[in-house]
Amino acid sequence: MTRPTARARTTLPPVRYRIITASLLTVAALYFLVPVYWLVVSTTKNSAELFGTFGFWFAGHPDPLGHLADVLTYDHGIYARWFANSLLYAGIGAVCATLLSAAAGYALAKFPFPGREAVFNLVLAGVLIPGTALALPLYFLFSAMGLADTYWAVLIPSVVSPFGVYLCRIYAAAAVPDSLLEAARIDGAGEARIFAGLGLRLMTPALVTVFLFQFVHIWNNYFLPLVMLSDSDLYPIQLGLTSWTGYADRQPVLYQYTVGGAFLSVVPLMVLMTVLQRYWRAGLTEGSVKA
Amino acid sequence: MTRNPVPHLPRMPRRTVLGGAAALAAGFALAGCSDGGDGDADAPRERKKGQKITLTFWSWVPGIDKPVDLWNRKNPDVQVKVEKVSAVNGEQYAKMHAAIKAGNPPDLGQIEFPIIPSFLLDNGLLDLAPLGAARHKGKFFGWQWQQSVFGKGIYAIPQASGPMGLFVRQDLFDKWGLKAPGTWDEYEAAAKVIRKKGAWIETFAPTNGNRFSGLAWQAGAKWYASHGDTWLVHIDDEPTRRVADYWESLVKQKLVKTIPDRQNAWYKDLQTGDITAWVGASWGDALLVGNAPGTKGKWRAAPLPQWKAGGQVFANWGGSTTAVFAKASYPKDALDFAVWLNTDPASIALLIDGGYGFPSAKKGYATDALDVDKPFFGGQSYSKVFADASAHVDTSWRWGPGVDTLYQRLGDAFTDALADGSSFRSALAKVQRQTLSDLQGKGLKVESGG
Amino acid sequence: MSRDTLSRTAPDTARRPDTPGRRRRVSRTEARNARAAAGFVLPFLALFGLCFVAPIVYAVQQSLHRTERTGPLGLGGREHEAFAGLTNYAHALADDRFLAGFGRVLLFGAVQIPLMIALATALALLLESASARGVPFFRSAFFLPYGVPGVIASILWGFLYVPGISPLVKIADAVGWDVDFLSRGTVLWSIANIVTWQFTGYNMLVLIAQLKSVPGELYEAARIDGASAWQVARHVKLPLIRPALVLTTVFSIIGTLQLFAEPMVLRPLASSIDSGFTPNLHAYSEAFVGNNPHVAAAEAVLLALVACVLSFGFLRLVGGRAKERRR
Repeated sequence: MTRPTARARTTLPPVRYRIITASLLTVAALYFLVPVYWLVVSTTKNSAELFGTFGFWFAGHPDPLGHLADVLTYDHGIYARWFANSLLYAGIGAVCATLLSAAAGYALAKFPFPGREAVFNLVLAGVLIPGTALALPLYFLFSAMGLADTYWAVLIPSVVSPFGVYLCRIYAAAAVPDSLLEAARIDGAGEARIFAGLGLRLMTPALVTVFLFQFVHIWNNYFLPLVMLSDSDLYPIQLGLTSWTGYADRQPVLYQYTVGGAFLSVVPLMVLMTVLQRYWRAGLTEGSVKA
Repeated sequence: MTRNPVPHLPRMPRRTVLGGAAALAAGFALAGCSDGGDGDADAPRERKKGQKITLTFWSWVPGIDKPVDLWNRKNPDVQVKVEKVSAVNGEQYAKMHAAIKAGNPPDLGQIEFPIIPSFLLDNGLLDLAPLGAARHKGKFFGWQWQQSVFGKGIYAIPQASGPMGLFVRQDLFDKWGLKAPGTWDEYEAAAKVIRKKGAWIETFAPTNGNRFSGLAWQAGAKWYASHGDTWLVHIDDEPTRRVADYWESLVKQKLVKTIPDRQNAWYKDLQTGDITAWVGASWGDALLVGNAPGTKGKWRAAPLPQWKAGGQVFANWGGSTTAVFAKASYPKDALDFAVWLNTDPASIALLIDGGYGFPSAKKGYATDALDVDKPFFGGQSYSKVFADASAHVDTSWRWGPGVDTLYQRLGDAFTDALADGSSFRSALAKVQRQTLSDLQGKGLKVESGG
Repeated sequence: MSRDTLSRTAPDTARRPDTPGRRRRVSRTEARNARAAAGFVLPFLALFGLCFVAPIVYAVQQSLHRTERTGPLGLGGREHEAFAGLTNYAHALADDRFLAGFGRVLLFGAVQIPLMIALATALALLLESASARGVPFFRSAFFLPYGVPGVIASILWGFLYVPGISPLVKIADAVGWDVDFLSRGTVLWSIANIVTWQFTGYNMLVLIAQLKSVPGELYEAARIDGASAWQVARHVKLPLIRPALVLTTVFSIIGTLQLFAEPMVLRPLASSIDSGFTPNLHAYSEAFVGNNPHVAAAEAVLLALVACVLSFGFLRLVGGRAKERRR
């Protein structure tokens, strides 16, 4: 047998391998998709059917649209409000977090100032501290400041992303050439303008990653809003849905609403995830290669 | 904290954004010393005539919005805003304690009888006596009124109680030749028969400290007493041990399940007839109707089984009050609302519709009005069973501080006991030790009672 | 992420020696630099101080105090804070339930993290070596659960765990297999399953990203040398994705110590989950249910300490090994 040439790469691996690979991937896909499938099926059921019929198949009279409409109109449309709140926390929080991280990471990478390493170590420590350990003291602190049970209580902690700063610093160090900055300075541009015009543009892939990372992080955060919020008008979706399951025993229809609400909240994010996959890839590559 | 007139607009003083450090320092100072009394800023206010105010009210009772809406229509100046809190595993109280600690509790809250002393410990509730609450005493059943009286203070207006009883699947009991058990011995005998038929009589939910305390109450336990300045605590007294032994024996004989009650799996078992009875309370009708619709017409209510044949000793599970928090901005209006909510016939009617329990008020409704869903119970006037129980509740029972922690301790201890097969008695002894140390940890004088 | 990284990525300007002739210009540049840097860093630092440093300081302060009460039966009297030394820490460390929670979480991490990372790595390698058709579908399918928040994932899996309702249990029953996902012995692994389900796809994606960044010629060179697919994976790809493996592992360690939402949501369904199932749940119960914020603060501090020690320790460990190998 001759040695494989470079062309061998383009020929397909043996059928046996392909079958094994495909079946392994299919098994894994089943594992990841079965609960989602259950959710889709269950959305078509009412509470009685939810408990009384086989979970992986449809009940007698599937009425997904009717059920979802009920979810949206229950309690004066509170669900829509929770959804909007989640979007607000995650959207605004992630945008601000990205900008703050970009500025801090850029400065840490490009300006040798006294105490820089100390600041960066502090940030690193911040990455390693579990956020939930901070939530309780933060609650008492915010209460003393009159911020508990307001939008700010969730928004302010959400805009701080040590991991974002870390990623931005690594990326800026690699992707923003000093010579370019020097040239801009010689042209007489101010630092703020250089950052806004040049830095941000060159850092875009990392910024997209930071934004997505933080968006998902805020969207998924449960502990912080649980501790901070008591007014249900301020709840994000997760908190709202658990409050429904919290009194569903007295109002069984809420089980059905919880499932429907879970479905409605999960779908857009899953679509977003799938569509934006390549951005996760692009940004994180740079970050983790340097790590 | 006084509530912002436009509560939902994000607001933040500029100062806190800009002068982060200064605000932080102030924050520490404020949070570092929690003052017991009312600061000047939070001094209770008298509403001026014609002034419009909004009171917030934390509750988890499902139909509570309806009477509140009625109040709001009748009292345009004193609007009440209900904020729903979750009642799973005591989460609602967790939130209230935190809010008190943080200085921003609501004006009013739904608090169960056993938990009131815990809130007194935080100085969380307003003493309503100086506002003349005593004049409403006569409107309520005496023992329920007493649940929120400590010393000279009156700390809440009772709303509903939960006299205990036994729900049974009459159709299955008939089929198997069983009668609703009148004593606990008969209950065990019935459990054996039912087990042989492949079903279960019910579940002993290890985490349900609330029901366990009701059963101990019926057996004559006295968990809390006081002597001078000292609390006497006796979780493992003789009657409680008797109850623990009884259920341990049922568990060990595998006559009862040990799944959590009032959760999905339990509702499923009710629907399918896998579980055929429930030692519940008056408010349980709504749960059965709502969660086991397929069993309509098959249930009956019976008196709680007795320790002595022919006995008439009953106990209470649940039951709650409307309390006014210490920092309420308009205490007088809050009290007015609390009294109206729990005595006004129209309000009671709406609460009954929501399935809130057994009214604490003596008047304003007819007992058969409590039979919200007679057809579900085969036409039985089931509320009479609970009315009788209510009349014979052992009224000498007292609650002490830290019951929410106690429930958690009991739940954890029984969970452990089920897992490693150790005795329920040793679980009680453990909880007794823990409770003493918990209360000492809170700075109270405590001794082991009995 | 290691200290090494810091010095490697720091621009050379930081180490430029000051020659006497240049000092003046340099100091002016430094001042200008410092001012600009401050403008960029301070907004973040101020909020970082508020949301990270201040709570820690506050928690430490709280953990060193306790409440004392006066008044008849302790009710209705005044309460004040008194210095308590380390008694709150002693209380927390003497609580078997709190310690058991730590043990449980460590066990969880020791089993679940390697499993999840191994699964993610296997899937990443499989996807990389599979023929092009179907790859985007599989990648999306694996990544999808990352879009499901922990609470919702737990509600969802809760329905799939509860006996009598769960179709999984029903199927298992039908084939004569008696399973209880929520029993004392299994519930931890049922939670591990939820976490694995959620995060495997995410970790896989990070690993794929790293694989893609490796120049294709490297694989080809290896193949030309006659290496099998397995050998390429083991000896070429795995060492190359090491940094990404470290990153995902550290994040998993931190995530594991924070375990809260899953047991919290499943707790009503399973009597086997007690109030101290995880350290975080224990601290939450102490603070809110037990109304004991001082002990809770001590527990939060302990939790943060352990998280830092473990994460730094892991970084040290892999950092040290990497150096040895380089030698």
